[in-house]
Amino acid sequence: MRAGLAVGIASVIALCILGLFASDYLLEIATLVLIESIAVVGLGFLTGFAGRISLAQGALYGVGAYAAALLVTRTGLPPLVGLPVAIVAASVIGTVLGTPAIRLSGLYFVMSTIGIQQILWILLMHWSSLTGGPQGVRGIPALSVGGFVLDTPARFYVAALIGAVASYLLARRVIASRFGLFLRAVSDDELASATAGVAVLRAKATALALSGGWAGAAGFLHAYYLRYVHPDMFTLDLSVVFLTMAMFGGYRSLEGMLLATVILGGASEYLRPFGQFRLVAYGGLLVLSMMFFPRGLLAVLPIRWRR
Amino acid sequence: MMHRLAMLAGALMLLAGTASAQDIRLGTVIPLSGGGASYGASIQQGLDMALREINAAGGINGRKITLDVADDASDPAQSVIALQRLVNDNDDLVIGGWGSSQVLANMAVAERAGMPYIVVGASNPRITTSANKWTFRTLTNDNGHAARLAEVVSLLHFKKIAIIYDTNDYGVGLRDIFTAGLAKQGIKAVDVESYQTSDKDFTAQLTHIAAAEPDAVMLFGTLPAIAAIMNQARDQGIDARFLGAAGLSNEAVMKLAPQAAQHAIATAYFHVDTDATAKEWAARYQQAFAQANQAPRPSQAAPAYEALKLMAAPCLAQVGTDKDKLRLCLKAWHGTLFGLPPAEAHFDDTNQLLAPLVVEEVVGTEFKLLPGANQ
Amino acid sequence: MLAQLLVGGLGTGCIYALVGLGFTLVYRTMRMVNFAQGQVFMAGTFLGLFGAQQFGLPALPLLLLVAVISFAVGMLLERVVFRRLYASHEVFVVGAIGLGVMIENGFRIVYPEPLPFPKIFGAGVYHLHGAVFQKTYLWILIVTLVLVAALHVMFAYTRTGRALRAVASDGEIAATMGVNVQRAIGATFGLSFAIAAVAGVLIGPLYFVSPDLGDMVGLKAFSAAVLGGINSVVGTILGGLALGLMEALAAFYISTDYKDLLAFAILVLMLLVRPQGLLGRVVPVKV
Repeated sequence: MRAGLAVGIASVIALCILGLFASDYLLEIATLVLIESIAVVGLGFLTGFAGRISLAQGALYGVGAYAAALLVTRTGLPPLVGLPVAIVAASVIGTVLGTPAIRLSGLYFVMSTIGIQQILWILLMHWSSLTGGPQGVRGIPALSVGGFVLDTPARFYVAALIGAVASYLLARRVIASRFGLFLRAVSDDELASATAGVAVLRAKATALALSGGWAGAAGFLHAYYLRYVHPDMFTLDLSVVFLTMAMFGGYRSLEGMLLATVILGGASEYLRPFGQFRLVAYGGLLVLSMMFFPRGLLAVLPIRWRR
Repeated sequence: MMHRLAMLAGALMLLAGTASAQDIRLGTVIPLSGGGASYGASIQQGLDMALREINAAGGINGRKITLDVADDASDPAQSVIALQRLVNDNDDLVIGGWGSSQVLANMAVAERAGMPYIVVGASNPRITTSANKWTFRTLTNDNGHAARLAEVVSLLHFKKIAIIYDTNDYGVGLRDIFTAGLAKQGIKAVDVESYQTSDKDFTAQLTHIAAAEPDAVMLFGTLPAIAAIMNQARDQGIDARFLGAAGLSNEAVMKLAPQAAQHAIATAYFHVDTDATAKEWAARYQQAFAQANQAPRPSQAAPAYEALKLMAAPCLAQVGTDKDKLRLCLKAWHGTLFGLPPAEAHFDDTNQLLAPLVVEEVVGTEFKLLPGANQ
Repeated sequence: MLAQLLVGGLGTGCIYALVGLGFTLVYRTMRMVNFAQGQVFMAGTFLGLFGAQQFGLPALPLLLLVAVISFAVGMLLERVVFRRLYASHEVFVVGAIGLGVMIENGFRIVYPEPLPFPKIFGAGVYHLHGAVFQKTYLWILIVTLVLVAALHVMFAYTRTGRALRAVASDGEIAATMGVNVQRAIGATFGLSFAIAAVAGVLIGPLYFVSPDLGDMVGLKAFSAAVLGGINSVVGTILGGLALGLMEALAAFYISTDYKDLLAFAILVLMLLVRPQGLLGRVVPVKV
């Protein structure tokens, strides 16, 4: 327990130091990784703790990004207002579309989420009057908090860091709560937990809402990071990336998910010189990890090292 | 005495050697993987060729140019990171940028960092507005293409025009300006259809178009879709003439639609027959890259070559690598580009290069200048 | 006009049916969904391209060759990769997706640009009620019929077929009856690969060949299988045909932009309302 806390604090300090001394280039990569970690942790509620695979997280991330982008470019509201809007929008859409499907078996649920991902993407791309369609939304101003404008990579990095740390801490609280207990019970053995009085459907629907909310928050940051959103940023491929990160690190371990996001997100950048081979390597990584570490990286470490 | 001279010579040679620390760093952000990989490769070839020629002639004021390549995998988010890396590497300027989505995303990096950025691979009008100070664009943008095509329609007296456009911002933008251009001539399209970039089957759209019996079909999109459209249109008995913008002026068209593309008309950024320089350059380029991984495509490599050789290099020679001076020099640049109809080109106040377009048609396995359209 | 749409829709429908059959065969036996199926289809197209261009093989030998090679590859991959993914549905799905990503990008490296496919079925066109269509469409229809008939015969009347059905029904009991379950599973994968690859060759002459060919076809064939019933062979075929026709009609009469939406809306609706598909039976899950 204490070891974990020490590691956590050390990591945050290291990340802060990174923010002070790293080059803009490194900061941009780190920012993207931090933003992605939020979406991945959100997905983790479903995959790890509710026992459900979702391939719609990319689209919900997009919903959050678009909500933030459209709000700030079409109304005069300050940027930060977009955060709760993005969270609520993604959460509501995810819950409304996902709840009817969540009572289905795991396999059918995955299939439904693929359908949901594609439908949302098609809507983002073709509902031009709402989303701007294939033009995307441009001219998103820099994120400003109070009077403080975050218009350099270093400053935005701070926002992303705060977001990622908050996301992690909040997630930990949720998992440690009674609700988290229900979720794990449901994921371990649905029938048994139902007989033990757990409102299974409600638990799963809540997990859906949470994963959507997290995706929305991450999407908000994405919109202000690139300052341009376009439907092609939120395809099935992205959902696959998020899923890989959520499962690669240990599908029940928040720390594992973060580690996986750092490794895979960072690797993506450093493998780029290898061009197309990078994508083959990515797919290979996915297959191999499912073949040999289906419970994720951290599962390989001896028990006393994990929590 | 000889001893001293030798030492002096040695010292001078040493100084010349350390000039490599003062190389001019040219950065380029291009796709080397993903959908734009072949275009990125062509851009790199153009830059490489210009670079080699400049360095072989002694460099710019004795300084050699080195190329710093960042692959953005045809992805906007990665494109931002890629350009940031170039800024981080302390590059002196950047020539590149392929794909409007990527450039719209990454140009913010150039603007923030004060990096002169010459875009040679994206035609979306929204790249050059009053907001960009450091970003320049040398390709005629889509509005220019669409307007030119409307002129061609008038020149060839087409009366019944059908439009089929890709629903991405490239196709949509072209459609809008072209329709406005037609309206000025009092013409309205007889049918307008849309498709998605990844579509393979166009039966539905072509069935509508066939029913409208057009004499010309305007294709606003890119390969491979427009080649498939042409093939399938001919299969369905549509014998109208095809027209398109830069997406159609790609040499691969002849490979994908050898019969269907015959006499298709396209607006382009380059043609070998416009002047002797173009011809000679194309021959040199073909020879230099005959064995390369990516087959040489003059029309795709010329803009990058010209941006470096005819615009950036003279400015670098004139003002050195001070970024602000470079920017001002580029803004004031004017001259003629080879491979285009004769006219002097210069940047307007949104940093968009104003230059004419070539109008060409497919004849056999080549593009030929369309007679009467390239004065 | 309608005739043109129907011909086109029927053609794509047959392709969805064949690729969908690949999903169904594996699902019936293993209760798993092989999401690399679309990429297998695409690989089949490229294999056909290679055979036609390098060896100038005519249509029939090419189809047979592709079928045989894909069968072998399917059995091999089952042994080497898929077998280790049976831990859970989720693991299998994610692993199969990873395999699909590898296959697609592997092909991208070798074939970065779209290529035309030789007209192995002849360059002629037929006219029918105002519709103009290539000979390829006839071949698609005929080969689909032949394959479906052959499958039916195999499953109903041959020993191998009965063994496969037994394994699909209950692997343990089948084993006690002397069926080599491992081999049967391998054969099932082999069969699903072969059928999808053949579909790939059939569609080659219609469109350009590029590594992204499998993405949409895979997803839509999957929707079609779910529509008809992913544990029913007949259902999948009918689902495929229905989806192909519906898409063609929707694209023309409603909107070309949203035609893809149709397939996915159907998918989601079916899963919510009747997950076993129109013709499938509900398979009770033993606790």
